Amino acid sequence: MKNPGLANACAAMLRRDLTLAWRRRGDIAMPVLYALIVTMLFPFALGPEDSLLQRIAGGVILVTILLSMLLALDALFSSDIEDGSLEQLVLAPQPLALMLGMKILAHWITTALPLIVATPLLAAMLHLPAAVIPVLLLALLLATPLLSLLGAVLVALTAGTRRSGMLLALMLLPLCVPAVIFAAGAVAAAQQGLPWLAPIVWLAAALVLAVALAPLACAAALRIALDA
Amino acid sequence: MSNWIPLWLHKLSSPPTFYRFAGTLRPWMMAFALLLGAIGLYGGLVLAPPDYQQGDAYRIIFIHVPSAWMSMFIYGVMGVSAFIALVWRIKLAEVVAMESAPIGAAFTFITLVTGSLWGKPMWGTWWTWDARLTSELVLLFLYLGVIGLYHAFEDRRQGARAAAFLAIIGIINVPIVHYSVTWWNTLHQGSTVNIFGHSKIAWDMLWPLLTVTLATKFYYAASLFRRARTDLLALESGKEWVRQIAAREGKR
Repeated sequence: MKNPGLANACAAMLRRDLTLAWRRRGDIAMPVLYALIVTMLFPFALGPEDSLLQRIAGGVILVTILLSMLLALDALFSSDIEDGSLEQLVLAPQPLALMLGMKILAHWITTALPLIVATPLLAAMLHLPAAVIPVLLLALLLATPLLSLLGAVLVALTAGTRRSGMLLALMLLPLCVPAVIFAAGAVAAAQQGLPWLAPIVWLAAALVLAVALAPLACAAALRIALDA
Repeated sequence: MSNWIPLWLHKLSSPPTFYRFAGTLRPWMMAFALLLGAIGLYGGLVLAPPDYQQGDAYRIIFIHVPSAWMSMFIYGVMGVSAFIALVWRIKLAEVVAMESAPIGAAFTFITLVTGSLWGKPMWGTWWTWDARLTSELVLLFLYLGVIGLYHAFEDRRQGARAAAFLAIIGIINVPIVHYSVTWWNTLHQGSTVNIFGHSKIAWDMLWPLLTVTLATKFYYAASLFRRARTDLLALESGKEWVRQIAAREGKR
C-alpha cells in the first residue's frame, strides 16, 4: 500500500470529521440554540433597560459563547475513543500533532463558526450598537480558535477518565481568563470610541502561539491519557 | 570526585530510601517550623512597632506575605517535579508533584482569605478585580484542577502523569502572579521586600517576616514528607520493603 502524502492525510482527516458532523446536523445547531437561550435569559434576569443591556452585551455574548463551546468540547474525542479510531490515529505514520490539529480545526468549524454566524443576532437581542459588531466578530474570530486549541489539550488530558464534564470546566475556565479579558477589552474600547487594536493584536499573538504549540501539547497529553 | 551528589540524588529517588530519609528528617523539619513560626509571630505580632498609617492592621502581612510566597514557590516545585516525572518517569517526582498540590492550594487559600480580611478595613472592600488578586485566584483554580485531574483517573500513576502535564501548562501563571503588580497598575501594592537590593521595610518588621517565611518553608517540607511517605506506602503496597514495614508495625 502506498503511503499517502501529508497533505492528503490532512485533507482526509478534515473531510472525515466534517462529514461525520454533517451526518448529525442536529448536533451542530445545539450550541447555537444554547447560546440563544442563555442570552435570552439576561434581559429577563436584569430587566429590559436598553442602556444596561448595551453596557453588558459584549461581555455576556463572550461568556455565553465560551460556555457553549465548553459544552461542545466534551464530544471532541469521545466518539473516536469509543470506536477505537483515536488509537489508530496515534499509531498512524502521520504526525499525531498535525492530525489532531485537523481534528481541532474541524471541531472549530462545526461548533464555533455557527456561533460566530449567530453572533449578530445575539448582539441585536442585547441592543449592542451596530458599529461595535465588526469588532466583536473580529475578537471572536481570534478568541474562539484559541479556546478550541486550549480546550483540546485539556480534553485530551481527560480522555482516559469517565466523569470529565465538570472537571473540564474547572481546568479550562481559569486558563481562558486572558482570552476573555482581551476580547472583552477590545469590545468595550470600541463601544466607548477608543482605539481597540491593541487587545486584538494581543489575542492574535496568543492565537499564533497556540496554533504552534497546542497541537503538540494535545498530542503529548493524548499519549499520556491513553497510556500509549 | 564530585559526582557523589548525583549519585546520592539518584539513590534518594528510590522509594524505600526516600521513605527512610523523609522519616528521619520530618520531625526536625516540623520542630524548626514550629520554633521559627513561634519566634517570627512573636516578633511580628508583639515586638514590631505598629505602622504609622495602618496601626496594628498591617500585622496580617506576617501571615499573608509568607503564604503568598509559598503559593508560588510550591507551584514552582510542583512544576519542576512534574517535568522530571514526565521526562524521566521517576515515581518519586510524581509523588512530590501530586502531594505538593494540596499544600500549595492551602497556602493560596490562606493568602486570599488573609488578603481579603486586610482589604476590608484598608481598601473598604473584601474583594476587587485587581490583577494580583485575580491571578492568585486563578492559581488556586489551577491547583484545584491538578488535584481534580489526579483523582479522576482510576490508575494513580496515569492520573499523576496527566495532572503533571496540566501543572506544567499552568506554570505560565506563576510569573504573571509575580509581575502582576508591575505590569498592571491596579490596587494591590508593589513588592516591598527585595532579595537583591534595598527593601523598603524597617528591619523591625523585616526580620519577623523572613523568620515566618523560613518557618513556612520548613512546614512545607515536613508536610510534604509526611504526605509523600503515606503515598509511597500506598503506591508500593505489595513490594517487599512495604511488607517489612507492615510486619514491623503489626508486631507493635
